[in-house]
Amino acid sequence: MQVKKGVVKVPLSVDERWDLIEKITKQTVEFGAYKHTLKDAIAELTVKPLTGIPVAIAVLYGFWSFFCDFAGTLFTDGFMVKIFDEHWLPWLQSVFPGGLGDPLYALMVDAGHLENGVLVPSDNCFEAFGVLTSGLFVPFGVVLWAVLAFYLVFAFLEDIGYLPRLAVLVDTVLHKIGLHGYAIVPTFLSLGCNVPGVMATRVLETRKQRFLMITLLGIFIPCGAQIGIMQDLVPELMGWIFLTLAIGYLGFGYILNKIVPGESPEIIMDVPPYRMPALRNIARKLWIRTSRFLLVAVPFVLLGCLIVGLMYLTGAMDWLASVLGPLLMVWFGVPKEAVAPLIAGFLRKDLAVGVLGGLMERGVMTHFQVFTSVVLLSIYFPCLATFALMLKEENWKEFLGSLASLVVVVFVYGGLIHLVGLMLGVA
Amino acid sequence: MGHPNVGKSVFFNRLTGAKVFESNYPGTTVDFMKGWMRLGGEDVELIDVPGTFSLEPKDKAEEVAVKMLTENKDSVVVCVLDASKVERGLYLALEIIERGYPVVVALNMWDVAEDKNIRIDVEKLERILGVPVVPTTAISGEGFKELVSKLKEARPAKIEEIIERAGAGKEGGGESAAVSG
Amino acid sequence: MEKKLSEMDFDEEGTVKEIDENLKKQVAGMGIRVGKNIRMATKQPIKGPVVVEVDKSLTSLGLGIAEKIIVEVGQDENLIDGASERG
Repeated sequence: MQVKKGVVKVPLSVDERWDLIEKITKQTVEFGAYKHTLKDAIAELTVKPLTGIPVAIAVLYGFWSFFCDFAGTLFTDGFMVKIFDEHWLPWLQSVFPGGLGDPLYALMVDAGHLENGVLVPSDNCFEAFGVLTSGLFVPFGVVLWAVLAFYLVFAFLEDIGYLPRLAVLVDTVLHKIGLHGYAIVPTFLSLGCNVPGVMATRVLETRKQRFLMITLLGIFIPCGAQIGIMQDLVPELMGWIFLTLAIGYLGFGYILNKIVPGESPEIIMDVPPYRMPALRNIARKLWIRTSRFLLVAVPFVLLGCLIVGLMYLTGAMDWLASVLGPLLMVWFGVPKEAVAPLIAGFLRKDLAVGVLGGLMERGVMTHFQVFTSVVLLSIYFPCLATFALMLKEENWKEFLGSLASLVVVVFVYGGLIHLVGLMLGVA
Repeated sequence: MGHPNVGKSVFFNRLTGAKVFESNYPGTTVDFMKGWMRLGGEDVELIDVPGTFSLEPKDKAEEVAVKMLTENKDSVVVCVLDASKVERGLYLALEIIERGYPVVVALNMWDVAEDKNIRIDVEKLERILGVPVVPTTAISGEGFKELVSKLKEARPAKIEEIIERAGAGKEGGGESAAVSG
Repeated sequence: MEKKLSEMDFDEEGTVKEIDENLKKQVAGMGIRVGKNIRMATKQPIKGPVVVEVDKSLTSLGLGIAEKIIVEVGQDENLIDGASERG
């Protein structure tokens, strides 16, 4: 198939090829006078540190407030909470056979909770923990809107060509932890859902970089599902949670980079010009990403509800809580009540955050304890779907490495947070 | 094939009507897309290859692109270049031509090049390269009919002949008649 | 005057003189090659990457990579007193 005859050696060397191109373009291409336009000026200003960094902060802040307003306030609080808590839950509680205490009822609708030794029904879909209540409310009432809002802005930034500029700006920092500016893309995508985030690590060059990235994503990046719920339940703690996670991401990234063998080549990246985004492209991307997310997340949430419900019913949860409880309570400083949701978080973090929020509202947990628990939930164990993908993307050695890092990080960082809390006197 | 962000996926969408997504960031279409188009009464398979700057891969996405090229030895390669950045586009095009693939070159973003006052002598370029060259604007769909009709004319070109034609044209305009493609 | 690409000042222009052999292939696809006019578009602080302009397109390069590219700058002055060209 290949051309191998003749005096010319194929393939050409880099220099030979350029010589040839020079010859060709000299005869065929004519560069007319061209003035730098406003677009070019903006293209450069947004990548210069002095002007680019403030712009980046403004963009990210805008991103965040849109996310909160659109997903949190408008859809979740404005419509979904009302629909689910005021109509769906009471209706189910009234028509579903069995009633409080019945196993099937507990599994599907509402497990209720003990108040002064009396089993009382839940008044919201966060705590009910039934397949038909929390199982539907979490993905469709909260998470869907968070993810939709997230991917909408993301697709927009992607299509106008802003992301590579952001990548250049953050490369300075990320290169110090062995990654690329590129790494901002998997990181960002993971804030929507870790699954596409882990897939996007393919833009990184070496195995080492991909390992670092996947491990950090799995540990420190909460997904849209968690963020949506956190934002809804503990909005006043969001800043602290993100700060803690960011410090962990950079700190442990730095350490991992030192430990893990392999290369971290420097960035070589095209910075494309800005252009008008095509609405159709954004819409299509939004649809593909959101629907993929739903396909992955909804079955897991429903299954998670079912398994957690079964664990409560069969007493497995109590057993686990009594075994792991002392460790969690002493090491991380969380109260007894938080142990079960933390364990349930192995299956669905978003559900667990929901329960924790409920505990705080009832005054069982202090702000700091909720904060510690939510951070712990974020850093320990990615969800099952992410797990499966990590197994696919990494080889066994790398996967075990990620897992080991995860366990170490959870204990070291969780303990550290507790320690800081003790020293500040808030724990 | 082509660089990231030259509109390969828009091409692909236009030619097949399949569901794929085109994005601005190098590497986001790593999961490549396949589709089918009708060509001369036949269904032809079309692959949307991730963007790459050269056949010397530097990340996994580019690696995929190169792998796909070597795995599909009998395919025709539509080389999508950014007409406003012809030189580095030709670098990739030549690499592909050197490997012996039949190529059609699409000079995409033709409108951008015009805005930037870049004029390209398409006919001459076609003569030198010895493969069809079509100016296109993917967003508006300009040039697509011609591109499709030229797909049949795609053929491998010998690099030594390209060198010869390029050299001859340079030394004296009059001699170029002697080396007609 | 020759200097490393990494040492170029902001907005300074020059011509690429020399590229490290191992690097040539990597940057070739971006249009960076010997003899090309190159402009420093931005430099990031604390050893961050540089952004250069070649053929009206921007490319970001890590500082370590920029160190392996030698650029001839200030040619204009050299051309004026071209007779006394220093090696």
